[in-house]
Amino acid sequence: MTDLDISRAWLVDPVAGREGPGDIVVRDGILESVAWLDGGDAEGIDDRGVVVAPGFIDLHAHFREPGNEDAETIASGLAAAAHGGFTTVCLMPNTTPALDDPAVLAQVAAAAAASDSPVRALAYGAVTAGRRGETLAALGELADAGVVGFSDDGSCVGSAELVRNALAYAGALGLPLVDHAEDATQTVGAVANDGFVATVLGLRGWPAAAEEAAVARDLAILAEVVRDVPGARLHLTHVSTASSLDLVRRAKAAGLPVTCDVTPHHLALTDEWVAGSRRWAWEASGDPWSDGAITAAPYASALRVNPPLRSAGDAAACREALLDGTADAVATDHAPHTAVDKEVEFGLAANGISGIETALGVLLAAVDAGLIPLARAIESLTTGPAAVLGRRFVDRPVGLVEGEPADLVVFDRSESWTVSADALVSKGKNSPLSGRQLSGRVLATIAGGRVAHEAALAVSR
Amino acid sequence: MTVSDRPVAIAVPIVDSPPENQTVGWSHRHLLDLDVVSWPEIELVMRTTDAMREVLARPISKVPALRGRNVTILFYEASTRTRVSFEVAAKNLSADVVNIAASLSSVSKGESLVDTVRTVEALGAELLVIRHAVSGAPYLAAETFSGSVVNGGDGWHAHPTQALLDLYTMRSRLPGGSVEDRKVVILGDVLHSRVARSNIWSLTAAGADLWLCGPATLLRGFEAWAGRGAAAGRRFRVTSSIDEALRDADVVMALRIQRERMASGLLPSLREYAARYGLTSARLALSRPGALVMHPGPMNEGVEIAADVAAGTQSLITEQVTNGVAVRMALLYLLAGTAEPSLGSRAAE
Repeated sequence: MTDLDISRAWLVDPVAGREGPGDIVVRDGILESVAWLDGGDAEGIDDRGVVVAPGFIDLHAHFREPGNEDAETIASGLAAAAHGGFTTVCLMPNTTPALDDPAVLAQVAAAAAASDSPVRALAYGAVTAGRRGETLAALGELADAGVVGFSDDGSCVGSAELVRNALAYAGALGLPLVDHAEDATQTVGAVANDGFVATVLGLRGWPAAAEEAAVARDLAILAEVVRDVPGARLHLTHVSTASSLDLVRRAKAAGLPVTCDVTPHHLALTDEWVAGSRRWAWEASGDPWSDGAITAAPYASALRVNPPLRSAGDAAACREALLDGTADAVATDHAPHTAVDKEVEFGLAANGISGIETALGVLLAAVDAGLIPLARAIESLTTGPAAVLGRRFVDRPVGLVEGEPADLVVFDRSESWTVSADALVSKGKNSPLSGRQLSGRVLATIAGGRVAHEAALAVSR
Repeated sequence: MTVSDRPVAIAVPIVDSPPENQTVGWSHRHLLDLDVVSWPEIELVMRTTDAMREVLARPISKVPALRGRNVTILFYEASTRTRVSFEVAAKNLSADVVNIAASLSSVSKGESLVDTVRTVEALGAELLVIRHAVSGAPYLAAETFSGSVVNGGDGWHAHPTQALLDLYTMRSRLPGGSVEDRKVVILGDVLHSRVARSNIWSLTAAGADLWLCGPATLLRGFEAWAGRGAAAGRRFRVTSSIDEALRDADVVMALRIQRERMASGLLPSLREYAARYGLTSARLALSRPGALVMHPGPMNEGVEIAADVAAGTQSLITEQVTNGVAVRMALLYLLAGTAEPSLGSRAAE
């Protein structure tokens, strides 16, 4: 069994709302002691070194199994998750076949069990049969089989009538509708954020209004459905524009049961990267052709993602939404792809970023820049997503609780690593951060009392 | 980059001889777009084109400069004018020319652009001219290819050799030989036009008073670009009013209108387009007397340009084609002499 001793680290316990110097001891997989240090004992320990936090929860990942095991398998995805510090992942159902039936869920569960990874694999069921957007999938059967919610992610639920029905039906089952907000009539052939960069590069624009129209539609329907079905819940995933987040902010203020997540890439990268800039969003001037930001080739297909990378203002709005609680969580939208699907013309490349291993490093870049407090970054990866999932799926407090099976991540903010195809455990090497150094190397990930990932740290089992 | 096309000291190469070992101010390994090409470099292209015009005027319009060099022309889109222009240019330089008409359907057969580029390189290609329907495709080719890539037109993005021949043609006909402060109007389907985008870079670099004009649906996004400038300080204007655009214009360039634009709801009809934005002699009268008329071709006569205007005395459309050969000779020549990768080849890094 797993034993682990970490002394003189920076502990972050988002449940207790506490962070500070301390020691932890894991014996036989149980978090035996959490000792907070103070006075002279705490001297010389700060949040810039080794950090211990609860294991991360990803509300949004694609592991491609069944159907596209060349891009990712459940086993390779779980290993990548552990490398990124995640101990729980929620898998999207856009597999082949789609997870619209309990048999596919059973297949996913069997693959997870066979992987012997201690990382917990949860899954969403499809909203519509075959994700075709026409009729409801087997929502009740899927709920009985254990899905955590319903999503047609990759596509928006196009029919407003189906959104209404799915919110009501899923709500009665106590599960959320997780929508990928995109008014598809505005995004036919669109490959990049509609804006200055897309105009200059001659790329068909994906307007912010396409997301906002879908968000507004979903919220308006939710407001009506919730009167009849108090359990109705809407979760908007990978929200990417300032106005979308404003809509969610107002809906929350009005008491609507809506939650949302933002991705690491939408809060830290911008569409200027498509032009060849490699500056973080908070360093962008808005005109990469004039400010010397362009240091790489344009049209790198690793940057092709849906929703597209937005403006610096949108990225700032994503960070602001995390700070004020409008965004409940950071979710990776980990979307691994094969070279065959990615190393092609930008306009022909598959959408998605392999991001579950870089999420922490990207968030820490924002923390390093003083834009997000470390504690809030950790919350957005732990208690935030746990609250979205609810106690039905996360039945233990997501904190550093003595006597519970250890579920935690240890990372070192003073150590950086270089993102590369070799360094990524995921089969998806499609990271736009390739070649970049990220801080916060994960030293160990312990999930459910077992070692999921370990780097250069003495962990005995 | 300065906003001026005042003369600068340029070492023009001796184009009868191979480009190797000649000291010229050209440092780009590839020609992918004009955003990274400086004004002195554009000036060098213009002067080298003068030298190529002189070659074309000879009884035997051919120099041995690229003898033994392989120029491969890989076109993923149907084109006659541009493909033949590159071919004639390469042959005038005594290069060996390989023509490949590829099709995007080869993608569905599993052969990627990267595979194709590796194949043509293995077959001996040293200079690769590529045309592709997808914006940015030449950058992907340049990442793979160890020689020089010339963008022969990619999607909506860029058509740098067209923009350079346009500039050359304007300068050859404008009094004073300069477009600085001249009102140049690009008229029509700007949104889908790689010609317009590349002309924005070159004409703003040259200090022209550049106007883009067309129906608002076909100017989407350009107001924001104009407000920012093509690069710091290099402004241009955008308007849907054709009268405002044409008033006192020195140069009017009409762009082709594709029929697909009606199907996608951007325009009511070709008839309405012709009535509101077609370049007729009545409209042309708003411009300065003797204003130059241009079109990158192929034309829809009677739609974006009236037949009498296209064939009229102010039209430089045929001259654009002739100059196209000279400009492409100049570019192939300059690129063949590039030894060191530079900013223009940042795609390769």
